[in-house]
Amino acid sequence: MAFENETKKLQDALISCKVPDIAKAVDEAKAAGMPADEIINTLGAAMSDVGVLFERGKLFLPHVLSAAAGMKNAMATLDDELKAGAGAGGAKGVAVMGTVEGDVHDIGKSICSTMLQCAGFEVHDLGRDVPLPNFVEECKNGCNFCGMSALMTTTMTGMKTVIDNLSKEGVRDKVTVMVGGAPVTQGYADKIGADIYGESASETTKKASAVASD
Amino acid sequence: MTEYYTRMGDGKRILMTKEAIMDDLQAGTADAADMAGIPTLDANDLEHIAEIIMCQDRVVGVTPGNEVVLSYDIGQLDFTGDNGNSGNGVDMGRLEAALLHERAIGADTFELAHSDYSIKPVKPIISMEMQTMEEIQAEIIAPFFYGAMPNQGLYYAPDGPYGNPADLMREFKIEESMQQSELASQHVTRDIEYVAPRLQAAGSDGFNFDTTGSAGDADCVGTLYGVKKLRELCPEAYIQVGFAGESIMGIHGMIEFEGQVVAGMYPHQYVKLAEKAGANVCGTVCNTNTSKSLAFNIARAVTFTKEAVKTSGIPIHADMGMGVGGIPMCETPPIDAVSRASKAMVEIAGVDGV
Repeated sequence: MAFENETKKLQDALISCKVPDIAKAVDEAKAAGMPADEIINTLGAAMSDVGVLFERGKLFLPHVLSAAAGMKNAMATLDDELKAGAGAGGAKGVAVMGTVEGDVHDIGKSICSTMLQCAGFEVHDLGRDVPLPNFVEECKNGCNFCGMSALMTTTMTGMKTVIDNLSKEGVRDKVTVMVGGAPVTQGYADKIGADIYGESASETTKKASAVASD
Repeated sequence: MTEYYTRMGDGKRILMTKEAIMDDLQAGTADAADMAGIPTLDANDLEHIAEIIMCQDRVVGVTPGNEVVLSYDIGQLDFTGDNGNSGNGVDMGRLEAALLHERAIGADTFELAHSDYSIKPVKPIISMEMQTMEEIQAEIIAPFFYGAMPNQGLYYAPDGPYGNPADLMREFKIEESMQQSELASQHVTRDIEYVAPRLQAAGSDGFNFDTTGSAGDADCVGTLYGVKKLRELCPEAYIQVGFAGESIMGIHGMIEFEGQVVAGMYPHQYVKLAEKAGANVCGTVCNTNTSKSLAFNIARAVTFTKEAVKTSGIPIHADMGMGVGGIPMCETPPIDAVSRASKAMVEIAGVDGV
């Protein structure tokens, strides 16, 4: 396999979650002639591994974000090659993310936003306690993925309101709705008409990427 | 094939065969064992839990003589709080709530609570809380504590003076995020030192620190140093430390309590921290997975808790309630699930209380 050595170094560097090490591995891969999109795909796959390690409690949030920072720097370093290359393209999708109105829990949502960014999505993270109309507004302004998180049974009902309002505004069929959070289940997602239920940040990212590739 | 009524983690009623129940029990215990590096439950334990789940009585219990202590959290809020806050919307005074729990509900301990149930908002009204504590202590016989969540989240912007780690980390300002966490953690310790001894002076029997670590590892460290300080200042205080999850969230990732990094610790590890800080009782927590069955969730919770009971030098009162301890996550958890999870905790995990 071509660039086997460089691939291993990129994977190890990303999983180490050390920004300088990631930058060094990217520079070395680039110098060895590894195509930019291959470098990014390798880092992206390793980022999924970081997500799994985080979910198993082996890595923590600062590690995940350091890895994401390293990934972001890599994309900036390779920007020209990516734009010029055959595999180049715009963002996979544009996602609005937020914790629904009345709810201030946002750790899981923030991790998901980071993973979507690393997977090639443009992410508009509105934060927590997001007024429900703001999700709809972002979708009307071009977001084609809408991710909502809730950690309380009393706030998760806002997700249905957003979905209903997307229909009222005539944009529902242009948006893939993603829902998640501790009280949310696949059954609830089906009941309210969401397109994707993610039990974890990595599952959500995988499912969103699959939709984006269709 | 016989099917048995049971529940999902979101409270939905389902039917399962014994085979399916056993599969989920095995999956649940294996998940906990894998995550925490602890032993799985053995075949006898799993069979015992299966019998508890398959029992078709609406409510199950332990045999007389094997009852355990029922300690409380959230104080009067289980009545006065709104439905989403684990309450029933029955407004009453805090004295009435205390006596109701002591005399009609069978609470072995109870507590006074601020309606925001956090340390930070108690500080400006400490005199009122001291006054109420003194008044209720004159009436109640059961041990009566003050309860609050350290809730370090209230110390971050927009509610508090420190930068919010979630916002800072989104901007990849990781070192600044860690620094703000550390400062907020020290502030939590200072506020505990301010609030808790004053309530002791007003006659409180002790303090219950609920959901320790809910805002992550820095929240946990700030609380443990606060507990340590309270123990030094009030040697007679009865201190309960209840945690927030089966693992301490590593929002900081490297912050330490007395030389130990706390991020990623599981119940059998974090009970030792509570003990070291000077707690009398530890409330271990295991979060319910709403997409899995009661069998999965109970097996998982019991696996974590059993190991904690084995390693702990202080009593364990497992946190049992909406979304924890194997109990479904819904506003009024069904009594069939609550009693089954509790029975399993007593008979298999060997807890001293719930």
